[in-house]
Amino acid sequence: MNDRHLLKGLFLIAVALAFGLGSFKYQMGHFERAGPGLFPLLVSSVLLAIGVTIVLRSFFIDKVPMYFNLKNIAIILGSLVGFALGSLYINMIVGILFLVFFSTLAGTSYSAWRNVKIAAVLIAIAFAFKDGLGLQLPLY
Amino acid sequence: MEMLHNLAFGFEHALTMQNLMFCAIGCVVGTLVGLLPGLGPLATISLLLPLTYSIPTTGALIMLAGIYYGAQYGDSVSAITMKIPHASSIVACIDGYQMTLKGKTGLALFTAGVSSFIGGTVAIVVLAALAPALGEVALMFGPADYAALMMFGFVCVSFVTTGSLLDGLAVCMLGVLLGQIGTDINSGVQRYTLNFASLVDGVGLVSVALGCFGIAEITKNLDEHSERTPFSGKIHLMPTWPEFKRIIPSALRGSAVGSFLGILPGGGPSIAQFAAYALDKKFSKYRDEIGHGAIEGVAGQAAADEAASRTSFIPLMSIGIPENPVMALMMGAFIIKGIQPGPNMIKEHAELFWGLVASMWVGNCFLIILNVPLVRYWLSVFKIPYNVLFPAILFFCCVGTYSVNNSLDDMFITAAFGLMGYIMLRLELEPAPLLLGFILGPMLEENFRRALLLSRGSFTIFVTRPISGTLFGLIALFIVWQLFAFFRDGRKRAAQRKGEPPPQPPIPVAPE
Repeated sequence: MNDRHLLKGLFLIAVALAFGLGSFKYQMGHFERAGPGLFPLLVSSVLLAIGVTIVLRSFFIDKVPMYFNLKNIAIILGSLVGFALGSLYINMIVGILFLVFFSTLAGTSYSAWRNVKIAAVLIAIAFAFKDGLGLQLPLY
Repeated sequence: MEMLHNLAFGFEHALTMQNLMFCAIGCVVGTLVGLLPGLGPLATISLLLPLTYSIPTTGALIMLAGIYYGAQYGDSVSAITMKIPHASSIVACIDGYQMTLKGKTGLALFTAGVSSFIGGTVAIVVLAALAPALGEVALMFGPADYAALMMFGFVCVSFVTTGSLLDGLAVCMLGVLLGQIGTDINSGVQRYTLNFASLVDGVGLVSVALGCFGIAEITKNLDEHSERTPFSGKIHLMPTWPEFKRIIPSALRGSAVGSFLGILPGGGPSIAQFAAYALDKKFSKYRDEIGHGAIEGVAGQAAADEAASRTSFIPLMSIGIPENPVMALMMGAFIIKGIQPGPNMIKEHAELFWGLVASMWVGNCFLIILNVPLVRYWLSVFKIPYNVLFPAILFFCCVGTYSVNNSLDDMFITAAFGLMGYIMLRLELEPAPLLLGFILGPMLEENFRRALLLSRGSFTIFVTRPISGTLFGLIALFIVWQLFAFFRDGRKRAAQRKGEPPPQPPIPVAPE
């Protein structure tokens, strides 16, 4: 089952079905006067066809296992979401601290002191963006 | 004569203090970020796009263009010194790195710098001469022709960036579907917004680009656990006269190839490099040395690289259709600034168009002045370990996303695209064509619907008009050829299983 080609095809089919079935919620119209649902339906049909072709093809070519590192992507996405939530409810400095201390868990080595230094530099850059370039960052 | 007049007009705009400064900043920042591991031109431009929001239009576009060719150049420096092809300089790794191994790093960097300058200069002449003329042709295009041209672009880009038509087309279609999210301009219906207020205006370009190219790339690099050793060799820049003489013919050849391939749909720097390298290998006086660290192996491809990265602006600015993912991102930047690229742009925003063209040459000078003598300082960027670098890049991704609308909601969208980009990378689906589909999707729909309205719902309009008919013919040829190739390979694979020697591995094709 862990075959990259097969999974690729299934991924594409899933996306095509999500958009294709979703398009039936909107008016189709007809070709002369297309409604909002027609074009997405056409495109998802093409994507569905490609997905099915890739699935079929995967039975004829050599299988390649797929590599997926759940830990790293989860840490990175977690640090982004944490940054957004921290900035939303407290302020962006808290967000930056969280981002640095949490995301570096995915690195090859971990050092709290190094993280303090990185965070300090990034906070300084954030202040420069806010005061120098006029970006509206909710720093405090 | 008119061209010279126009160029002079352009230089008037490019040489103001302010625009000179933006051009210099663009080149410096572009080179710097281009040098960083894992960030090619696409990620660099999307990362730095928000910095241009508060800048006047001409300055902002000059700076973005500077970032683009600066990043392209920075890429080749890291390729030559450390054999790290980020995204777009795979060919520079071959002879460039061989020269480093022989202790001729300085010569290789000098060759790359000078050839890039020559390539850029030739390309600007081509750009100035051809873009207005092509703009006139573009006025003959109807909706069906535009739709056909976009689909032709999808097919070409898919094939060039991924090497597999099927995968590339799938990614393009995925991009088109993502572009459907938001309000339908014809009927005002909200599509696929899932009742999120932040999706009513569609998914932000910066969110897609940073998610798929910034965050996904970072995670991929983290998975690889590779720490690189920084380059610490000596750099002796000045070549001898015979060495210098060897640069010129090869660079001119590269410029011609690059300028031409840069214009074609799906073309751009990567394919131009391969073509120039192949050409040098066939026709150069020193062809036997190529592959083992020959000057020609660096000069030709560097010139083609820079030439193509400039002439690929031609279709964008004269027809209004970007021909590769990087140009699609550029088009997004134009639109954010309120400029619709296309045949009318050259007339209505003459100062912008000619200013941009002239600034490319100014940027050329900046690149050669800044980079050739100062290259050793640039290389110290590599002394920063990745464990320090990646939290900083993440932070820039966050600030970039946030400052588009000053909305933290967008960050969740970026994170979602990060996940999607990572899944795609792991499925070996190169995400670059996604951006092209995403930007062109709404335009494709608009033109498709308009064409069918004109033809009263009959699809014959796509084949009876000469321009769209030709383009669809080419698409059909391409698909037939791909089918044929698949079945031929299938037979080879079957033969291989019976114990015959394996076929040659295919040439890797670089993503833009």
